[in-house]
Amino acid sequence: MSDAVYGWLLRLYPSRFREAYGDEALQLFRDRLRDERGIRSALRLWLDLLADLAASIPREHRRPRGALVSAAAQPEAAGAPLFHVLEGEAPRLGAQFCAGVLSCLAFVIVLAAIASGGDSQVLRAWFDQLAASSAPAAELKPALLPASFALFQSQAEPKPQDATSAMIEAFNTHDIVLFGETHGNKQEYEWLCKLAGTPAFDDRVDDIVVEFGNSLYQKSVDRYVAGEDVPLEQVRKAWRNTLAVGPPSPVYEQFYQAVRDANLNRRGKHQVRIVLGDPYEDWDRVKDAEDLGPYVANRDQWYAQVVKDEVVGKHRRALLIMGAGHFLRRNGPGYIESQLRSAGASTYLIVLGTNAVGGYDNLDKRFDAWPRTVIVPLAGNWVGDLPQVPVTTGGMAPATPLKLADAADALLYLGPRDSLTQLAMARSELDGTPYGNEMTRRLSIMMGHAPNFLFDQAESPQFPRPQAQASTSGGRPALPPMPRSIHDPLPPRPPSQ
Amino acid sequence: MPKRKLDPLPSTAFQILLALADEDLHGYGIMRHVEEQTGGRMRLGPGTLYGSIQSLLEERLIEEIDSREDAPPGHERRRYYRLTHAGRKLARSEAENLADSLRVARARKILRGDYV
Repeated sequence: MSDAVYGWLLRLYPSRFREAYGDEALQLFRDRLRDERGIRSALRLWLDLLADLAASIPREHRRPRGALVSAAAQPEAAGAPLFHVLEGEAPRLGAQFCAGVLSCLAFVIVLAAIASGGDSQVLRAWFDQLAASSAPAAELKPALLPASFALFQSQAEPKPQDATSAMIEAFNTHDIVLFGETHGNKQEYEWLCKLAGTPAFDDRVDDIVVEFGNSLYQKSVDRYVAGEDVPLEQVRKAWRNTLAVGPPSPVYEQFYQAVRDANLNRRGKHQVRIVLGDPYEDWDRVKDAEDLGPYVANRDQWYAQVVKDEVVGKHRRALLIMGAGHFLRRNGPGYIESQLRSAGASTYLIVLGTNAVGGYDNLDKRFDAWPRTVIVPLAGNWVGDLPQVPVTTGGMAPATPLKLADAADALLYLGPRDSLTQLAMARSELDGTPYGNEMTRRLSIMMGHAPNFLFDQAESPQFPRPQAQASTSGGRPALPPMPRSIHDPLPPRPPSQ
Repeated sequence: MPKRKLDPLPSTAFQILLALADEDLHGYGIMRHVEEQTGGRMRLGPGTLYGSIQSLLEERLIEEIDSREDAPPGHERRRYYRLTHAGRKLARSEAENLADSLRVARARKILRGDYV
């Protein structure tokens, strides 16, 4: 809708300007519209545009015709309208007056839409307020309301964009892109590994901050990712010794490898660093749940601190990867995003989602037309209106009132729910091995018991059909009581290994 | 010597030249660079931006290039602009003029502190 309004306003420029720059101007407007979210930003955008129109339209009409002869004519690729009837002549005075009135009208309608966020009750209240404070506005009210309501009903179609391009573009305008991952997903990490090997991404991004990395091992990971010879047994402690429940999926090791490979292939060029965001617990020293309490209780706090110290404080740009539950917004940004914004970072949040929009069997056919591996912005379209919970959980949990657009900025879509699979660590690496025995010990500390973590199939559906609720008698063991130490602060950080 | 159309150089044009000093950019990239280098004080709207670009092209202070080799995916079709030798020379001259004015302002104690 905003596109159409601005496209229409572009008609006020002389045809020679539109031919030369109409598409470019429209593209610039779309770029700003995409990147400047929120009521205040949108308001500022439209004020900028109106001021710009007021200043530049007369100037372009006054510009000598010969001066533009050398301008390259551009095809009407992006849809900027051409108004050949004018043929370079200034519009008549009456036409300019009408255009001015209509521009103001359009501006008021857009303002109303922005202010109401699409809620007609809010819009009505806004107009009532306007009517009470301004007599001319009250006279306009009957004319404006129907147009405004029509505006709300005409939601734009979502515009899926190649995920790699969209991710890279997000860094043109944001320092920090948060990606809420689905743990262990094969397709997701195939894409992330490809992203890590994309030169345009590596040029723009300084750091990738990961949840699947214990901060204790930052030194080893720095050397490994930089391409040095580091024994795999040493560096894999970073992703094997975290607070995650159960053995890590092989996708994480693959990702570290992908970043290392990308850096090796780009010797002498900008290098990407992996920053470890999980707390620095030393599992060799953890004997019981009390030893673990401060680390478990301060995961988000530590992650935010790491990003503030290593990224924001050094004016770097980073991709943040963490389980979606840590990032999703509920009544505003979560703890980590809030902390980063307070520190001055500009953030953009992308989460993985599927076509499951209701119960497990409720799949939305509208996704079928999309190509795979796309990112779609969530503002102002039907995707953003979908409930967040079934979409980001593969339909394994019932819907809640929270809309996707309120929970994130964009959705990563890798294909239909049932095409997604998760990778588990091979049974041979765990069954009767020292790491398998250690995993049993850790799970017993964390959960009071060690559930089965051995799988015959390395690959399985990411979102299997939920099982019927097990009966309480003889069901799963109860979790142990919370350790008292969860109220303790993090102990001092030991030297990095 | 005929007077240039951009004499004196408007601040918008100067900021565009500065934005292009390090790399070739498309329109939106120029807008963002200008916003950043002016601390958010100057946000160029499309009309002002492309009007200025047209003037700079006419004066051969910048040139349009087909596309940037390392343009991000999806940006290949955008029109990129590059600073010409004349543009760089003019930007340097303008910056030196401003630096002279700055020295005078400091000497007259209009500015506080050593650095601005």
